[in-house]
Amino acid sequence: MRDDPTVIALVQRANDGDAAAWDELVERYAPLVWSICRRYRLDRPDADDVGQGVWLRLVEQLPLLRDPAALPGWLATTTARECLRVRRTGQRRQVHEKPLDETVASGQSPVLEQELLAAERDAALRTAFAALPEQCRRLLSLLIADPPVPYADISASLGMAVGSIGPSRARCLDALRRSPQLSALSDRGGVR
Amino acid sequence: MSDDDRLLADLGAAVRRAQEVPPEFLATARASYAWRTVDADLAALTYDSAAQPATTRAPAAGPRALTFASADLVVELEVGPDGCQGQLVPPGPGRIEVHTAGGEVSVVEVDDVGYFAIRPVPAGWFRLRCRPAGGGTEVVTSWVVG
Repeated sequence: MRDDPTVIALVQRANDGDAAAWDELVERYAPLVWSICRRYRLDRPDADDVGQGVWLRLVEQLPLLRDPAALPGWLATTTARECLRVRRTGQRRQVHEKPLDETVASGQSPVLEQELLAAERDAALRTAFAALPEQCRRLLSLLIADPPVPYADISASLGMAVGSIGPSRARCLDALRRSPQLSALSDRGGVR
Repeated sequence: MSDDDRLLADLGAAVRRAQEVPPEFLATARASYAWRTVDADLAALTYDSAAQPATTRAPAAGPRALTFASADLVVELEVGPDGCQGQLVPPGPGRIEVHTAGGEVSVVEVDDVGYFAIRPVPAGWFRLRCRPAGGGTEVVTSWVVG
């Protein structure tokens, strides 16, 4: 994923003025920025403050990103650093501040690395999912619903015999697994 | 758990993690693109006293010191409780626009020796757009928060 050609293309297009490419970068990586803010247990105003700063910085850094493929790592490190700043200097500082792992800000932290890998895998899964045929997307959406949707209801809403849900599920998951995004990940042992 | 079950569970988790992101958080991220600047040089943040490791933290009473640098201009900025004061290097007169991420713009004059003051400290994220009196390339600083 670090050398994902999609990310490189999106960064280049956003830098050339393509707002749709920017939106796609946001869709892809806002969950990463958000999850790091959650890791730091920031309250909502502080998380908004951090998020704003991270994206403003990215806009200004677009022309300077020498290695667009390193974007996810840059986002994770920048977010962690901003979270630390907010926690350290924020006016809303708590009296009982929990000690924080300063190595997180250096980008070397195992926690940050873990968030980064999870975020890249999530993004690959979502992108691959979005590229599936509509029938598969509808079926899988119902199958991942929480709370679970009974097969009888899935059958009714998709007009599909209960007996063919199982085989369709297997076929759609196989298509998901074979998608270019996920194959790239599984080559590096990133997805099972 | 079969491979299919695991893949389905992973997909569910990936979709849910995207859904957990509040809509306003996404909206702010998308809107940031409007700040893309193509007509000025960037003076990047090269020093921030508040970003130093905790062990070398500046005394709490001192103002926060920031340095921004482009190829042709250095902007020194001190952020105190009541306002900011700054210095352009090389020194010279001009104007500075203070832009906040919220969209407000205010203008301060830079005196003949490159000094300027901003009162009060801008709310939230802001950056400075420096316009030298004699014309020439404008410079915008990185975004900072007071």
